[in-house]
Amino acid sequence: MVFRMTGIVKRFGGLIALDHVDFSVEPGEVMALVGDNGAGKSTLIKTMSGAHVPDEGMMEMEGKQVHFRSPQDAWSSGIATIYQELALAGKMNVVDNIFLGREIRKPVLGIPFVDFAAMRKRTNELLRQLDVHIPNIDSWVESMSGGQRQGVAIARALNMDARLIIMDEPTAALAVAEVKKVLDFIKRLRSSGKSVVLISHNIQDVFEVSDRISVMRHGRCIAVRETKKTTPQEIIGLITGAYEVPAAA
Amino acid sequence: MTTLTDPRPGFRFVSPTASREIALTLTIIVVGALFSFASPHFLTVNNLVQTLRAGLELAIVSGGMTLVIIMGGIDVSVGGILAVSAIVIGKAYQAGLPVFAVAPIGLLTGTILGSFNGFLTAKLKVPPIVATLGSMYVFSAIMFLVIGGAWIAGLPGTLSPLVNGAVGYVPASAIVILAVYLSCWIILRRLPFGRHIYAIGCNEQSARLVGINVDRTKIITYAILGFLAGLAALLYVARMRNVEINMGTSIAFEAIAATILGGTSIRGGIGSLLGTLLGVVFIRIMQNGLVLVGISSLWETVIIGGLLIVVLTAEALANRRKGRPS
Repeated sequence: MVFRMTGIVKRFGGLIALDHVDFSVEPGEVMALVGDNGAGKSTLIKTMSGAHVPDEGMMEMEGKQVHFRSPQDAWSSGIATIYQELALAGKMNVVDNIFLGREIRKPVLGIPFVDFAAMRKRTNELLRQLDVHIPNIDSWVESMSGGQRQGVAIARALNMDARLIIMDEPTAALAVAEVKKVLDFIKRLRSSGKSVVLISHNIQDVFEVSDRISVMRHGRCIAVRETKKTTPQEIIGLITGAYEVPAAA
Repeated sequence: MTTLTDPRPGFRFVSPTASREIALTLTIIVVGALFSFASPHFLTVNNLVQTLRAGLELAIVSGGMTLVIIMGGIDVSVGGILAVSAIVIGKAYQAGLPVFAVAPIGLLTGTILGSFNGFLTAKLKVPPIVATLGSMYVFSAIMFLVIGGAWIAGLPGTLSPLVNGAVGYVPASAIVILAVYLSCWIILRRLPFGRHIYAIGCNEQSARLVGINVDRTKIITYAILGFLAGLAALLYVARMRNVEINMGTSIAFEAIAATILGGTSIRGGIGSLLGTLLGVVFIRIMQNGLVLVGISSLWETVIIGGLLIVVLTAEALANRRKGRPS
């Protein structure tokens, strides 16, 4: 178990966004998180990533209880969130983006100069490891395709030693070839032992890469299914409420 | 588009395209040539060195302004910082303090006032243009309260060799400007701190997310600008040997103009020190040349203002075409 949350409650005024949610992720697993709009997926990942502080419940990362008060807390515990808007600095190049906030330093007379050569070398390694093709790592990330930017964001997470990577709709708004590329990134992360939480509306993508699927509805996590043992029909039924799950679940 | 997105590492002193630097250099050459034809006094060593000395404060302050604007900030109060620092320096000289005590006091005053601006924007979340507008009023009020309508005159010129001296044939002012810009360049391009300035200017949210201490970076950057304004005040006093009541009134806007003309984006994230330096040269040459050829210096402000509008309009249009607000 790399990550586990139990009994998480999050209220916004009178609205209960998360209602005693239990959710866990195994090492080297791709866990898909699906649900209709407003089911609580975003609130759940924002709680995991430190953007929201839960009102009740407990979270554990790698066996240790954690209390995130900010996204930085979550990052330093090894949980990286790659948001739809990607949070990259558009007018900086690939190397700068990957090493933002953790530049490699080469002190000269005590002045911490940036070691550009070492950073470029490591960037190339990371991009090769993920199989991201970027013709020129000196280009601004703003000028790159959606898939390439996903690659840069994932490389940054890897460089920050993330063990659990949350991806929020990574394939939305991508061209078909790019979608395949991003799904490949996810498979590569899994094969290198990282855990991934994948939020997606695209059931086809979910079935292609995930190991398990958690379904959220009305602020509860109503079902967890192994991808191999379920069908898109069942998952869609769970999302829309066509299949009612017994209250015990 | 490859050239647009290809900031070659070797050219990091300049903006990603270097196009603004090239355009400014050509403009300066053309304008300089026109002035040389129109006035025999323009292209003389004496005139150029005088122009350099007179532009010393603007050049120094503009270097710091470039860092602040790249970070997505702005500081319209640098004139006030300059004036208050100059008063402190003047009062310290009058109190009989020696120069090696006065100089640190002057630099410290500027640094403290700069960090005050940084504190307002970073910790109190006041938008920088409003925060620094407020502090400009406060600083000028301090100035009036301390010296009233009078000048502080008859100050020692101990540091004037830094302005008027020369090393061989190289004017000392040029060496000072070079040292300031080299230091700013190292901060901006060679230290992690400079990467953080660019990152905050590009995307503050993302900078916070990766763990950059955004508030601290902001305060230090405003403090650097304040320090440079303190340095400018020190050299101003050395040059003029007095403190006037109206000093520094236009320097903030000239520094912002030089920075924007030099290719730094008012939205932050993009900018170069070489561009700013060329912007300063351009503004000073226009002021000097127009006076020499007998045109009212009012036209200089019209030209600079017009160019600023052109540059900002072009930037706004380019952004609209890309369809990416903010």
